[in-house]
Amino acid sequence: MSRGGRLRASILRSPLARALAPLAIVLVLGMVFHQDGAFFAWDTHRAMLREISVHGMLACGMTLVIISGGIDLAVSSVLALAAVLFAWLTLGHGIAAIGAVPLVMAVGLAAGASSGLLVARFYIQPFVATLAVMVFARGLGKQLSGGRKIASAGELPEIFSLIDAKVLGGNLSVVTIVFAVCAVLTWLILSRLRLGRYLYAVGGNREAARLSGVPVRRVLLTVYALSGLFAAIAGICQAAQETHGDPETGMGYELDAIAMVVLGGTSLAGGRGSMQLTLIGALTLGYLQKILSLNAFSTEARLMLTGAIIVAAVIFQKRVAARDQGEEVGS
Amino acid sequence: MSLRFVFWGAFVALSGLAACKSSSSAKRAGTAEDPFVIGMSQCNLGEPWRVQMNEDIKRAAAGRPNLKLIYKDAQNDSLVQRSQVEELVQQGIDLLIISPKEAAPLTQPVAEAYDKGVPVIVLDRAVQGDKYSVFIGADNKKIGREAGKFAARILAGKGKIVELKGLMTSTPGQDRHAGFREGLELDKHPGLEVVFEADMQWLEPNARKEMESALATQKQIDLVYAHNDPGAHGAYLAAKEAGREKGMKFVAIDALPHEGVKYVQGGILDATFAYPTGGAEAIGVAEQLLSGKKMEKKMVLGTKLFTRENLGKGGEPIE
Repeated sequence: MSRGGRLRASILRSPLARALAPLAIVLVLGMVFHQDGAFFAWDTHRAMLREISVHGMLACGMTLVIISGGIDLAVSSVLALAAVLFAWLTLGHGIAAIGAVPLVMAVGLAAGASSGLLVARFYIQPFVATLAVMVFARGLGKQLSGGRKIASAGELPEIFSLIDAKVLGGNLSVVTIVFAVCAVLTWLILSRLRLGRYLYAVGGNREAARLSGVPVRRVLLTVYALSGLFAAIAGICQAAQETHGDPETGMGYELDAIAMVVLGGTSLAGGRGSMQLTLIGALTLGYLQKILSLNAFSTEARLMLTGAIIVAAVIFQKRVAARDQGEEVGS
Repeated sequence: MSLRFVFWGAFVALSGLAACKSSSSAKRAGTAEDPFVIGMSQCNLGEPWRVQMNEDIKRAAAGRPNLKLIYKDAQNDSLVQRSQVEELVQQGIDLLIISPKEAAPLTQPVAEAYDKGVPVIVLDRAVQGDKYSVFIGADNKKIGREAGKFAARILAGKGKIVELKGLMTSTPGQDRHAGFREGLELDKHPGLEVVFEADMQWLEPNARKEMESALATQKQIDLVYAHNDPGAHGAYLAAKEAGREKGMKFVAIDALPHEGVKYVQGGILDATFAYPTGGAEAIGVAEQLLSGKKMEKKMVLGTKLFTRENLGKGGEPIE
């Protein structure tokens, strides 16, 4: 093999580089179809970062769950439940943010933990367990709100404008910072904590992990609980940005979160992946949607293009990975 | 063996009971002691507008002790709604109010109920044929046209417009779009221009996203027209974040008391046009039908314009 070929192969061997390729392609598309320079304005990028933040928070929990070999369909419903509960507490009952935020987070944690309990204790398949929690949480949200949006009668409490604000001279949205904090936490868990090591072990081979002394049940319970917690934080941000609690909000967001994780190159089989990859996946999806929106593509075209690009990116990553492994065997 | 006998015996007895019950139901007196039973089949209570429709029905029926209502929610599934209609007829209701999800799959069950002598009021979306008593609905195209005329008027025939559309694969989306363009009369007002349009699928977060793109690509925007209240609210939030909301007008459709009307009150929207649910009217018509009166087969509801000036008077009706 030529030196150039080997260099290329060694670059592509890194999953990070493989994930960056689709992002680079999307960015080039943006530079070509820039809409009179709108793509080059920082405001466009700030808006994109705000738009992916709530989905990204869900993707943080989803990354943990997917690495554990599971899936969490309930995140979008837990988000809606959290949004409704947050609005109900702050707007409906005038409870201060200092009390409402921890309470909502606790409810999210509990909702996630119940998924975890079903998966870890009762051996229900994650898809089925979280599907059940998804339906239940959506119902609970609707019950709490009476099927209506919970809005403020007068002035909005300060916490709403605080979350839906911009900092650093109006150059960064607060929700994006919240997302960044969630991402850093997830990265810490995966790469610095024992829980992270256990997580890869459980996702790789649950039985082997159990036999080597990993507390599998506790790990799974924690992972789903964390996913619920991130979904609750996302719900608070969603309510603040919408200025009300909408029981119908976030429908289908779980699929966006899964797409972000998968676009980054994390395998649904579990045991592999990282937060960095999900971050790149989130940026790829966010930029793609931003560019389609800037160019005012029709919904039909957007759906088809998004689907096609997800497939193309995943096939590309699989092929490179497969070739990579083939070379390793051969050499 | 004896168990099977008991089972079948019970089955026969129960079906006999059910038959008795449904045959006797036709002779309800319609008094407070023996009220008329009305079945209300709603296609999807996931939408706030439909929650409002049920609310309007409930409020109108509250003052009438001679009416008793049974509510069903089909959760956006035509086949579920079909079986719910059949259940209601089985139960022996005196009158059916239905807001169907789709015309074709619900025409048959509605016709069957009508043929059995149950008067049927169809709300908002129509069914095929003529086997129902009264259709009550509003005209999306007409309301869109009023919104277009209003936009042309407050812009004095000159300005740049953003249109945030509902779902363009749905009839309300298509009609609110087509009507608006008619109302703008672009050939008569060369100064008006729709500079950006996008589907926001009736959803507020999507509307905000699309508006951000509009703001990024358009230096001047004078008016935003959204196909529903949440759409206009999302657009307002985007414009406010960009610090450009002051120079813009926001016009929406639906005027739900908890959404559009509240936004107008809060100075967020400049105007919203009511898309009436027909819930209250349905109860009025139901009473007439139950007392044996003949009614016009079609009842088209007018719209109402809500602006800051006329809020106190409860909006301005437009026929």
